Amino acid sequence: MSLTRRQILGLLGLLVITLTAGGLRLLVYRDLEGVLTWSWPAPEIARLRWTAVAVAAIAGISLAVSGVLLQALLRNPLASPFILGISSGAALGVMTALYVAYVTKRSWVLAGSDTPPALLGAMLTLAVVYLLGQRRGWLDPLSLVLIGVVVSAICGALIMFLQHLVPQGLRGDLVTWMMGHIRQSVGAPFLLTAGGLALVGTIVALLMGRAMDAATLGDDEARSIGLAIGPLRLALFFLAGVLTSVAVALAGPIGFVGLIAPHAARLVLGPRHAALVVGAALVGVTLLVGGDVVSQSIAVSGGRMPVGVFTALIGGPAFIWLLRSGKGQV
Amino acid sequence: MSVVVRNLGFAYARLPVLGGIEAEAQPGRITAVLGPNAVGKSTLLRCAIGLLRPDEGDVLLGGKLAHRLRARELAALAAYVPQRSIVSAAFTVREVVRLGRYAVGRSERRVEEAITTMELTAIAERPYPALSVGQQQRVALARALAQVPERGILILDEPTSAMDMRRARNCFSVLRRLADEGATVLMAMHDLPAAAALADDVWLLAAGAPGHLAASGPVEQVMRGDRLERVFGVGFEWARRGDGSRVLLPETRIDASSTTM
Repeated sequence: MSLTRRQILGLLGLLVITLTAGGLRLLVYRDLEGVLTWSWPAPEIARLRWTAVAVAAIAGISLAVSGVLLQALLRNPLASPFILGISSGAALGVMTALYVAYVTKRSWVLAGSDTPPALLGAMLTLAVVYLLGQRRGWLDPLSLVLIGVVVSAICGALIMFLQHLVPQGLRGDLVTWMMGHIRQSVGAPFLLTAGGLALVGTIVALLMGRAMDAATLGDDEARSIGLAIGPLRLALFFLAGVLTSVAVALAGPIGFVGLIAPHAARLVLGPRHAALVVGAALVGVTLLVGGDVVSQSIAVSGGRMPVGVFTALIGGPAFIWLLRSGKGQV
Repeated sequence: MSVVVRNLGFAYARLPVLGGIEAEAQPGRITAVLGPNAVGKSTLLRCAIGLLRPDEGDVLLGGKLAHRLRARELAALAAYVPQRSIVSAAFTVREVVRLGRYAVGRSERRVEEAITTMELTAIAERPYPALSVGQQQRVALARALAQVPERGILILDEPTSAMDMRRARNCFSVLRRLADEGATVLMAMHDLPAAAALADDVWLLAAGAPGHLAASGPVEQVMRGDRLERVFGVGFEWARRGDGSRVLLPETRIDASSTTM
């Protein structure tokens, strides 16, 4: 991959911002009197903060790279990791687990292990959208978007139905999960698996950069220049789906990162996908680690501001600005 | 390398579009595909380049079945320009032209030659979406020129429809040179006088259910005034200019009574 001077400077700038956000997350905390302060933490505390940085980084990379892949797959600047209904599927998985736990009086789900049902729900949704999103044997961008919207709506209806069947307290658990949260305590095997998947996914996405560039041409032209568009779409779909599922299972459905990170990276680095994958990953990490710093800093009714609220508050206006300024290109 | 169409038939969702097409485009010659709107010209070209699989018959591209070619094999044989080229990213003109080398090996020399040939040097760093449709057509042609192998096949679907006359003539002149060097050029056109001036051969498609070949062969044999009038509903005649060359002209001036239903 040959980089222009502008791209090298842009990537270095993003890297500095990302590292600064990571440093702040390790050092900044709210003391017992509620005052913001900073210091190098004791080893036990440092371990919790490193875990939070790792969770935020893995989720940020996964969502941002997934956003790049989906915007290339669907040739649509509005595409985000949740357009395929994956977050709704994951939420349905969590809600189903909560309901099963309630009915069977088992507490394993309530103890905070919402990762397996979220992952299962996300992967099942991915399979359904894949099976229904094909035309003439190949994935069709328009069908994918429409099926994703419909699957989301069906999952939403089922979630409401299950919520109706459980007590108020359990509904609160789901609402908390839906806001997205950066955990400070995650099992090492899961964290390593998620990190490995995010790393491999990013490298594969990087290797597909030229193919994604070629896929910006219409289908006929792309094939005529030698791009096997069908297999590429399949690879983009599954890679984006797996990365999104990882992020949702790890940190809940955190919105706007997958939408904003590719656009922000594109403004700095231009439209070439190889550079975009790296740039978007850095922006994704910055948004979630930085979001977690803000979340730590703002106390809301005795707790922390959910990081998903921060990303939506930053991402929403930023996206409107992109739309209004006409800078939103694929 | 030739393009051979053998008894080709194609239907979209059981709606027959083309039937019984038998024709050949030969190396070193420009073949114009002519016919009224919706007669199946673009469909025929998409079958020819292997993007659509015929329901009947087949197309041989350089001796190989077009629809069975893998994308990379296809790119090494032929380049294609659709009626409207789509680029859904803000790539510069140079980056779009470079995409032509995607599967056939990088060559900055071929990219720069194509940019120069299509008179794009002054706008080579401009974003593609900011160009006019005529400029975008020149970029699409440049991309195809950067890709097409020596004595390869160029399949073009109305590639100059939005260009001004001087740019269009420049493109035609480039295509003439490529054909003279051994390329096979197969091109759908609506400008009949230009086709008559440029092409060596013509595939003339006529409307029907399905669209079919009214005639094929050398220009002056196929483009007879009476046949064109039957196919297009507009009269044409050949005239001789002062230098002895022949030109095809519409028969009458256009006025309010020229509408034919």
